[in-house]
Formats: sequence, C-alpha cells, structure tokens
Amino acid sequence: MSMEDYDYLFKIVLIGNAGVGKTCLVRRFTQGLFPPGQGATIGVDFMIKTVEIKGEKVKLQIWDTAGQERFRSITQSYYRSANALILTYDITCEDSFRCLPEWLREIEQYANNQVVTILVGNKIDLAEKREVLRQRAEDFAEAQSMLYLETSAKESDNVEKLFLDLACELIREAKQNKLDNNDTAPMPGEGKTISYLSCCSLN
Amino acid sequence: MSAPILQLSTDLYSLDPSALTLTLTNNSCYFLEVVKRWKLIICFVVCSLQKEVEAELDRLVGQEGTIHTKMLALQRMGPNLQLIGGDASQLSGMITFTCSLAENVSRKVRQLDLAKTRLYNVIQRADDILDLKFCTDGVQTALRNEDYEQAAAHIHRYLSLDQSVIELSRQGEESSAVDASLVMLQEAEQKLKVIVAEKLDEAVAAVDLAQVERFFKIFPLLGLHQQGLARFGQYLCSQLASKAEENLLLATGGDLGEKRALLIFADTLTLLLEGIARVVETHQPIVETYYGPGHLYTLITHLQQECDKQAQKIVDKFIQQRGYHNKFQIVQSSMMKSVPGERIEPRYVCVELDPVLTEVTLMNARAELYLRFLRRRMMADFEVGDAQSITQEHQQNVEKLLKHCLLSRTMQELIGYYIPMEEYYMRESVNKAVAMDTYEKGQLTSSMVDDCFYIVKKCISRALSSSSIDCLCAMINHANSVLESDFREVLYNKVRQGFPATTLQDIQRGVSSAVSLMQSSLQQGKFNTLGIESAEHAKAAFLNDCSKLFSQGGGSGDQAKIESCLSDLVNTSTKFKDLLQEGLTELNTTAIKPQVKPWISSFLAISHNIEEEEFNDYEANDPWVQQLIVNLEQLMAEFKAALSPVIYDTLTSLMTSLISIEMEKTVLKCSFSRLGGLQFDKELRSLVAYLTTVTTWTIRDKFARLTQMATILNLERVTEILDYWGPNSGPLTWRLTPAEVRQVLALRIDFRSEDIKRLRL
Repeated sequence: MSMEDYDYLFKIVLIGNAGVGKTCLVRRFTQGLFPPGQGATIGVDFMIKTVEIKGEKVKLQIWDTAGQERFRSITQSYYRSANALILTYDITCEDSFRCLPEWLREIEQYANNQVVTILVGNKIDLAEKREVLRQRAEDFAEAQSMLYLETSAKESDNVEKLFLDLACELIREAKQNKLDNNDTAPMPGEGKTISYLSCCSLN
Repeated sequence: MSAPILQLSTDLYSLDPSALTLTLTNNSCYFLEVVKRWKLIICFVVCSLQKEVEAELDRLVGQEGTIHTKMLALQRMGPNLQLIGGDASQLSGMITFTCSLAENVSRKVRQLDLAKTRLYNVIQRADDILDLKFCTDGVQTALRNEDYEQAAAHIHRYLSLDQSVIELSRQGEESSAVDASLVMLQEAEQKLKVIVAEKLDEAVAAVDLAQVERFFKIFPLLGLHQQGLARFGQYLCSQLASKAEENLLLATGGDLGEKRALLIFADTLTLLLEGIARVVETHQPIVETYYGPGHLYTLITHLQQECDKQAQKIVDKFIQQRGYHNKFQIVQSSMMKSVPGERIEPRYVCVELDPVLTEVTLMNARAELYLRFLRRRMMADFEVGDAQSITQEHQQNVEKLLKHCLLSRTMQELIGYYIPMEEYYMRESVNKAVAMDTYEKGQLTSSMVDDCFYIVKKCISRALSSSSIDCLCAMINHANSVLESDFREVLYNKVRQGFPATTLQDIQRGVSSAVSLMQSSLQQGKFNTLGIESAEHAKAAFLNDCSKLFSQGGGSGDQAKIESCLSDLVNTSTKFKDLLQEGLTELNTTAIKPQVKPWISSFLAISHNIEEEEFNDYEANDPWVQQLIVNLEQLMAEFKAALSPVIYDTLTSLMTSLISIEMEKTVLKCSFSRLGGLQFDKELRSLVAYLTTVTTWTIRDKFARLTQMATILNLERVTEILDYWGPNSGPLTWRLTPAEVRQVLALRIDFRSEDIKRLRL
C-alpha cells in the first residue's frame, strides 16, 4: 500500500430511488458535468477521485448504484465494504422520501455497523416544485442520527461540500479508530475493525 | 577681425564736426597732432579692410572654375531630359491601351461562360423533360407488363428530378403536355405504391421469401424506406415467432435426454437468439444494397420487438417450470431467519438450485452475446455510411435500444434473483463443508479448506460465466464476505480451541500432547497458507477469464470495477496471513516455549566458573548443549512431519528467536571464568551450527547478540575489548550497548569492576 500515492482510501456508495440524481451527483463531482437526459444506471458504476484534505491525499472510490428494483441484489453486495453511504432522495418527489425507511432497513441489514450515512436531498434547483420541506427532512435525519445536506447537481450546489465533508468525517473516524485500537490491542477475529483500518491505513 | 575695425571707422565718421571745429580753434597744434594720429589709424584700418576684401575676392575667383564645369555639364544634360519626357508619355499611352483591351476580352469571356452554363442548363432541362416523357411512357408500359422494378425505377428517376425544373418546364410552351405527363406520373406513383404494398403484404401472407424480397427492394425506390423496413421486419418477425413457438413447444412438451433437459430453456433461448442473429446476418446485405447504410438499425428495432416478446415467453415458461420465484422465496426466507431449526433443509435446496443457477447464467451469457453482436453490426452499418458521421445520437440510440429492451430488462431481473440464490448456495455449501470437515492421516490439511475454496471458486466461476460484469462483481463481493467473516471465524475458533493451556502443564506428556494438539490445531496453519494460495490462485484465474471477457468487448470502467472487487479479495487473503501468523505465535508460546524454557534454564545448573580440569571433563562429557540439541531435534521432528514446509519454516524461525532470547536471559544470570567463557563459546557454536542445519535461512543474525556476548566472555583482559570496539570494530557491528558490554564483562569473575568502570566505550 505504501507504493500508492494516497494516505486514505474510502469506499462511498450512493443509494436511493431511481431518478433522484445519484449519477448526476457523481458526475458533477468527478467530472464537473451535468449530462442532461441521463439514462437509468445499469447495475453499478464506478468512479475514482482523489482529493486533498489538510495536506492528506484521500482517494475516494465512488460506487454509483442503479436505483431500480431489479438491480437491488447487485447493489446490496456493495454495502458491506462501504465506508460511507450517501442516501439520496429527490426533494421534488414525495415518493422518494417515503421510501427512505425501506433504504434504512437495507443499510441495517447489509452494511457494516461503522458505516457513515449521510442523507442528501437533491434537485434544490427545482425549488418551485419542492414537495419535501427541509425541516421535515432534517427532523428525519436527526431521528436516524444521520447527517443531512441539500444539493443541486445541476447548479453544482453543495456537491463538492457533500463529498469533502464526508471525506473529512471518514478521516476523523479512521484516526479515532486508530487511537482506539492503539489503546486496546485489536482483538483478532473482530474482522470489521481491522478491515476498516487496513483499507485506509496511513502509509 | 574685420568687424571691430569697421566699427572704429564708423565711430570716426560719426564724430560731431562742430565739436572738432571747437577744439580746432582752441588748440590747433594739438589738433593737428590728433589728426595725424587719426590719419594713421584710418590708414591702418583701410589697409586691413582692403586685405580682407582681396582675400575674399581671391576665394571667389578660385571657385569660378568648378562652377563653370558644372554649368557645362548641365547644358549637356538638357536634351536628354527632353527625350525621357517623350518616352514616358508614350509608355503611359501603351498601358492605357492594353488595359482597355484586357477589359474587353474578359467581358467577352464572361459572356461566353454565362452562355455555356445556360446551354448546359438547357441541355439538362431538355434531358429532364425527355426523361419525364420517357418515364411517363415507361411507367405505363412497365405497369401494364407488371414489371414493377422497371416502373419503380422510372418513378425513382422522376422523384430524383429537380422539382424546380419540373415547375419551369410547366411554364414553357409545351406546358399542357408536360402537365399531362406529370399528372400521369403522379398517378402512376400512387398506383405503384399501392400495388407494391399490396403485393408485399400478399407475399408476406403467402410466406414467399422471393416475392417478399422482390417488393422489399422496390420500396426504397419509391422513397418509402421506413415503410419497407417495417413490412419486411413484420415478415421476418412472423417467421421468427412461428419458429420460436415451435421450439418452445418442443422444449416444454417433448421428450428430452436427461442432460439436455437441465438446460432446455437456455437452449431454447439460444435457438431464438441465434435465429435472429442469422436473420440479421442474411438480410444485412440486401438492406445495405437497396436501402443504403444506416438502415440496419431500423430493421433491428422491428426485430427486437419480436425478440423481446419471444424471449419473455421463454423466460416466463422457465420461471414457471423451474419454480424460479418459488425457490427465490425459499432462499430469501431462510436467509432472513436466524434460527437454524426453522429452516428448510438447505441441502435439498442447494441440490435443486445448482442446475437452475447454471441455466440462468447460461441464458444471460447468451443474451449478452446476442446484444454484443447486434451492437457490433449496427455500429459497423453506421460506419459504412460515413465513419465521421457516427454521431452521439446514433450511439445513444443503439445503446438505448440494447440496454433498455425488454430482453435486457428480463435478464437483469433474472440475474437480480440469481445473485441472492447463488450467495445462499455458496454460504450453505461452505457451512456444509465446515460441518463435514474430516482430517485424513498423512494429509496436511483437512477436507474443509479444499472444499470451501472449491465452492467459492465454483460460484464465482458460474457468476463469471453469466458474462455480466455486475453479477460477477456482486458475487466476488459475497465470496469475499463469506471468506472474510464466516470462514475466517471458523478457522479462528479452531485456533483458539487448539491451545488449551492446561493440557500443557503435564511436562511428562509435553511433546506428545503438543503434537496431538497440533494434529487439530496446526492444521489451521496449513489451512491458512492453502487459503492464501487459493485466494491468490483464484484471483489469477479470474483475471485470466476476465481478460477473455474484456477482449469480447467490455469497457475499461468494467475492468476497474472487477479489479477493485478482486483487490478486496486480496485484502482478505492478507487477513488469512495475519491469522496464520497469530496462530503460529500462539503455538510457539503455548506449545514450544514451556518445553524449551526448562531445557535452556538447565544451563544455570552447569557451572561455568571452571578450571582446566573441569574444562577437560566437559570436553569429554558434554554437560548441556548436546542434550539440548537432541531435545530440540525430537520436538521439531514431530512438527516437521505434521506441517507444510512454509509453516514449518515460520515456526522454526519463531522458535530460534525464542531460544536466543531465553539463552540471553539465562547467560546473564551466570558467572564465568576464563575457561567458562571458552566453554560457553563452544556450546553456542554447536547450537548455532545445529540450528543452521534445520532452518532454511541464516539464523546467525538472530544469534548475533549471543555471539558477541561469547566474544566478550572470552577476552583475556578487560581492556582487550577495545581491540574490537569503536574504531577497531572493523566489519563487526555491535548489537550490544556499552552498558550491556559492561554487564557482560562483569559476568567474568576474574575481571575487576574498577577496570570495567574505567573502560571508555
């Protein structure tokens, strides 16, 4: 790992209903594009972007999943190794918000318990069509102890912030974990803590 | 010079004469004197003036010659200038003339050009009018003779005429005649369109391929590309449909061999897709020749509709007959339930799942292959048209058609169900392999390891055989999860149980009990290496297969996906390595250390504060080291038999470290005489020599500190250490600190502590 030119490697998986703008968020962040008429994602897409945070190189592996039901079993297989999940809904679509509890159940079932989850309300450029009030989403996120952010992939609002904040949080947790592990020798067999460390250890 | 003199003379002239007269009367003598002097002055002034003027005149006269020659030259040039003037005006006249001439000529050329183009236009129009007439006549005859190709050719000619030309010809004198023929042509066109459509429909109904193709070729001549393709597509679809239904009937009803029956739906789907591919292949030339490139896409759009319909039928039948959804529900419910007692016996489920899973992956692989074929054909067809003009739009259309067609969706759904089932199959099979674990004597590993890795490999290979990258990645993820958590847990627990500390308390049974414990627990070590090798081996194998898949046309993004998933698998193998290391360390501390430690501490019982006599006695009857070597040999022999070479090496390495550390501790508790030091040196040498023979790598490094201690204990005098220390150390790198050197020196009873203190290290 010391050969690689980064200090941390994190896996981030985007999930949420079909058509809420997951692919657009990823493309806006990784390529600075907003492709109009983006088709539905097939299976899972994979992008990499390396960012620098406080002098440390952070490689973000971003897995953009298909929202459609028939790809659910493919996307579920990525939850376990994810360091962070971006749960996305569309603020102009009440339905996508109502499905959130279902998504949380999936996270509960498949993701490892240290995963950082952030709730994202996308498409704030369509403010006049808003169906989900900000306060409601904030309350929901707080009740589930998730971070919350509203974004617009089209106007590039908060997109950079979303990923960078997430990277900061992950670095913080990784450092915290390292401290914890130094205090009490890591118990062999508790694969998850070790796995968490081994994939983002310092060079 | 001349200026002040002139000035003086003027002054003189300007003297007031009255004043002079006055003075004159007053004193004439004095006045005369003054006048005389003035005269002198004036004379002098005049003379000098004269000289000045003369010089000036001389200079001017000297110039006269040159001026004269210049004047002569000018006079000679006079006539030449007149000549030049004449020539110039002549030239200007000539240029003006040429210019007007050129303008004249070019005006004429322009006129000629215009005349020529008009002439061409006239010829063209005359041709067109002639054609029009010819077409009018031709169409009539052709229609009468039912020569539709000819008629269509005429209409095609008419349609390709410039519309404005036709308008123009109407305005001519023969307008009525032209009008009449135009009307006739239009009528004929409509008539022909109707006839051809009817005839094609008839041919389609009669399943007469020759006739269908005949009329299909006429459509583009009448500018009815889309219609022609649609009707032809319809014909081909009906052909495909009847064939497909026949096949499906055969599949569901017919008697089939045992082997084929398991894959009958995959086979039926294959037949359907191959059929369509063949249709595309056979009819592509016709479409390209008569419709031009770029029209294959339209035809395939029509065919794909039928393909979707038929594929859906096959898949529906598959789901129904194989109880696909039913099986999925069983799997899902048994994965949800955490209580094992309530589960349906997994073995039966697994046995039933196996062939169905294989069939699904085969179906998906066929569909992927088919869609790749279509993509290649369509893009090639666009490329023939114009390689540059393959626009984003073309590509998007093709992708949209292929990715969002019902066939793709149906397959995605099947794979969606397949993944959890395959995961279940893998998990349950691994569980079963663990439960049925047996250890055969003489075998270094138990059956479980091989079985588990065989299963994982099988499942991933099956996912790979589906040709779906996402499916493969998902299964690699699941395999990783099974290996990393479940299987690792099993191994870890075995390692834990393997070393109950209490059983080791009985020193009498030391060796044998250790070995019997090894029987069960040491295998873990072997398991693990095997695990690592398998994981890496598997990775290499997958990469190999994957690259095959890519060469068939996968994107680079897909490759990155798989590589990322596989790198997780490699991480898992690293974890197995860690576990192995852990297991061995534990084995070393629980099984080897308790035995080796007393052997080494028996060194304390052997006095090294000895004289010549005892030294010789030791020489004859070795007091310690030979026994230690024999003991070690026995201990290691048992391990060697039961361990794989790699693990045995790691273990001996751990053991030698242990020995060196223990020896060091022990030696520091002893006291030595000069000969005692020599004795220790001898003992250490034999020990190192023995250990070198049993390990594959050099162990001298591990014993460097001990060897250096022996060197110190062997010194003649305290100060002799300085021959080896600091600048005199030569190639020797001291592993002992100065404090440790003093400590070791103090072990020699014959060294005085003041001397040691006095040493400068």
